[in-house]
Amino acid sequence: MGSTTALTVLGSPDEVRRKWEDPTFRPEYITDSDADVTFREAPGDRGTEIHVALQRADPKGKLGQVFQKVVGSVSMAKVKDELRRFKQLVETGEVARSEAAPEGERAERKLKQRPAQPLEQSELQKAGV
Amino acid sequence: MRANVWSGRNTVQVENVPDPKILNDRDAIVKITSTAICGSDLHLYDGYIPTMKKGDILGHEFMGEVVETGRGVSNLAVGDRVVVPFPIACGQCANCRNELYSACENSNPNAGLAEKMFGHPTCGIFGYSHLTGGYAGGQAEYARVPYADVGPMKIEDDLTDEQVLFLSDIFPTGYMGAEFCEITGGECIAVFGAGPVGQFAIASAVMLGAERVIAIDQFDYRLEMARNKAGATDTINFDADPDVVEQLKVMTGGRGPDAVIDAVGMESVSGHAPLQAIERLKQASRQETDSGAALRDAILACRPGGIVSVIGVYGGLMDKFPMGALMNKGLSLKTGQCHVHRYMKPLYEHVKQGHIDPSFVVTHKLGLGEAPNGFETFKHKEDECVKVVLKP
Amino acid sequence: MTENSSAGWPRPIDSILHGATDYTVGATLVTMFPRLARIEGTRAARQIRIAGAVHAGYSALTDYPLGIVKAIPYRAHLAIDAIGALALAATPFVTGQFRRGRDQWVPHVALSAFELSSLALSDPTGRGDYKADVEAVRRANMEDPARKIHEGGLAVTPGAAATNGGATAAATA
Repeated sequence: MGSTTALTVLGSPDEVRRKWEDPTFRPEYITDSDADVTFREAPGDRGTEIHVALQRADPKGKLGQVFQKVVGSVSMAKVKDELRRFKQLVETGEVARSEAAPEGERAERKLKQRPAQPLEQSELQKAGV
Repeated sequence: MRANVWSGRNTVQVENVPDPKILNDRDAIVKITSTAICGSDLHLYDGYIPTMKKGDILGHEFMGEVVETGRGVSNLAVGDRVVVPFPIACGQCANCRNELYSACENSNPNAGLAEKMFGHPTCGIFGYSHLTGGYAGGQAEYARVPYADVGPMKIEDDLTDEQVLFLSDIFPTGYMGAEFCEITGGECIAVFGAGPVGQFAIASAVMLGAERVIAIDQFDYRLEMARNKAGATDTINFDADPDVVEQLKVMTGGRGPDAVIDAVGMESVSGHAPLQAIERLKQASRQETDSGAALRDAILACRPGGIVSVIGVYGGLMDKFPMGALMNKGLSLKTGQCHVHRYMKPLYEHVKQGHIDPSFVVTHKLGLGEAPNGFETFKHKEDECVKVVLKP
Repeated sequence: MTENSSAGWPRPIDSILHGATDYTVGATLVTMFPRLARIEGTRAARQIRIAGAVHAGYSALTDYPLGIVKAIPYRAHLAIDAIGALALAATPFVTGQFRRGRDQWVPHVALSAFELSSLALSDPTGRGDYKADVEAVRRANMEDPARKIHEGGLAVTPGAAATNGGATAAATA
C-alpha cells in the first residue's frame, strides 16, 4: 500500500468539511495522526473528494505499533476504514454492520471474523450496539 | 431459531442459532415464510467462493412478515408482508442514486476484502461469504434486514409466496439479462443454461418480444420446462451434440443469434469430454476459479455486432477467454450482479397483471429441515429438480 | 444410503474421473513406470507395459465420456478392470518369476491393489455417488416436479413487456 488514499463523499466541500470537524462524525485516527487531509470538489455532481496523505505513521496502541513494524501498512488500512466509516455516516446516517463485523469495518476484524450468524444478547454491548 | 449453515465443502446443516437483533436504526427483522436455494449458493457449497466460515447462515432469496423495526424505519409496519432483494443497498450513495444498487458504496463492512479481489468494493449481500460483508442469510426462521427503508417491497394482495418470492433475485436477474440484449422485436436470442435464472431469462426475452429464444442445457427435463413453460421456441441439448456454436448457426440460418445470454456462470460444463476433464482438473486444483466453457461458446456463437449478456455468477479469474473473437466481431459485453431494486416494482406489476406466473420454476417445496437433502438434490439435478423452495 | 450407492460405502469416482485415471495410468505404465520401479529390461517391465497398453486400449473403446469408439459398456469396462487386475497380480506366480526376487512380483501386486481400490470407489452408474436421500426428498416434497414441467400451458405471455406495443404482439401470439 502507498501512503495516499482518496475517497469521494456525496455532498458539497463545505458540508463535508463541516461534518469532518463535527465530533459525532470526526474520524479520530486520521485527525489524531499527522496525516495531510485535503478536500476537493469532484467533477460534475459527484460530491467531494477527500485526500489523505500519511506523513509519518504514528499508530496508537500496541497492536498498531507491532503491526506497523511487521506489515508497515496497517495505518493505511485503518485510514481507509475510517474514511469509509465517515462516508457511511454522512451519506446514510449509520455505520454498516454485519453479523460477521458487527462493529462496522475494522482492519483488525478482517483476520478474525465472527461467523455470519446473529449475535447473542451478551455480545451486543461489546459490538457497540 | 433454526438456520441452514455452511459447515465445510459440500456440507450444510440445520442448526440452532441466536435470533437476529436490530443492530442499526434502519434495520428490520423479518419472520421468513419462504426462502429458496439459488444456483449461486452452489458455488458456496462446492467451495469455489473464498472467505466462508463454518456457521455462516446461507440464503439470499427470502420473504416474510415484518416483526420488528428499528427507530429509523417508517415505511414498514409490524405485520407487513415483504419480499427482500438480495443486494443490500443504502439508497443514498452515488451508485444507489444511479440505480446501480448492487454497486452500493456503503453496505459492505468488509469492503477492504472485496477491494483486494475486485479493485473496488461492491455491495453487501445476504448469506454470501465474508467478501460481501458476512451478513447472515435467509435460509432461517428470521433475518435481520439492513436499510429496511430501501430494500423490502410490500406485497399487498393474495398472490402466493411462490408467485412473488423470485422478485428477490432470479426473476429480476433473468429479466436484466434479457434487457441487456436490447430486444425491440423479432430477435433471435440464445440462452445458455436452463436453470431457474435461465428460465426467467427465456421468459423475459419472450415477454420483451423476441421472435426466437433458444434454450441450451444438458438436461432434457430443463429444456422441457423451457419450452413448455418459459416459452423457448427451440432447444439444444449439448450432451447429444457438443458443438453448440455450429448448431446455433444452423438454427439461425448461418447468421448466429443476435444476442446471447450466459445464465451459467463459473461452474459451466463443456459437452466435449476431454475439455471438460481438463477444466475440472484445473478447477479442482484451483489453478483457475472460473470455468469458461459456456461463455466461450456464447462469444463464438454470437453474430458479429451482437450483444453478450452475462448474468451467470463469476468469482475470480478465467483461463482462455476469447478476447480475439470478442474484439474482432465487435461484440458488446454487458454484465453485473442484478440491480434488483430497480426491477422489483415493474416486474411485480407484470405478475399482478397475469403476464407471467413465476411459480412455474418451483419443482420442490421442502421444510427447512430438509435443506441438506435439498442442496444435494439441486446440485445433482436429481428428481427433475429445477428450483427448491424451503419453508421454515 | 442413496440409490446410487448400493454398496455400503461412498463411491465418488464418476466415469470422467475414472476415464482420466485409466489413460493416465495406462500411459505411465507404458512409459515411466518400469524405470521408476527399477525393473527396466526385465520380464516384469514387459508385462506391466503390456498391461498398461491393453488398459488404455480398451478404455478408448469404452462407452463413457472419454472413450473414442463407444463400444464397450461402462459396467463391462469395470468388470474387465477387475479381471485384468487379478490377472496382473497372478502373472508373476503363474510364470514362476516371483522366485527371482521381490521386484518381479511386488509391482504387479501393488498395481493390482491400486486398481481394485479405485474400482471399489467407482460408481458403476458413472454419475458419482452423493449424499442425498432422494426417497426422503420425494416423500417430503410438497410439489410435484413432473406435473410442474410437463403439464399446463405457458407461464408467460409473449410480448407482454414489449416496448413497441405489447398488446399487438400478444394478440398475434
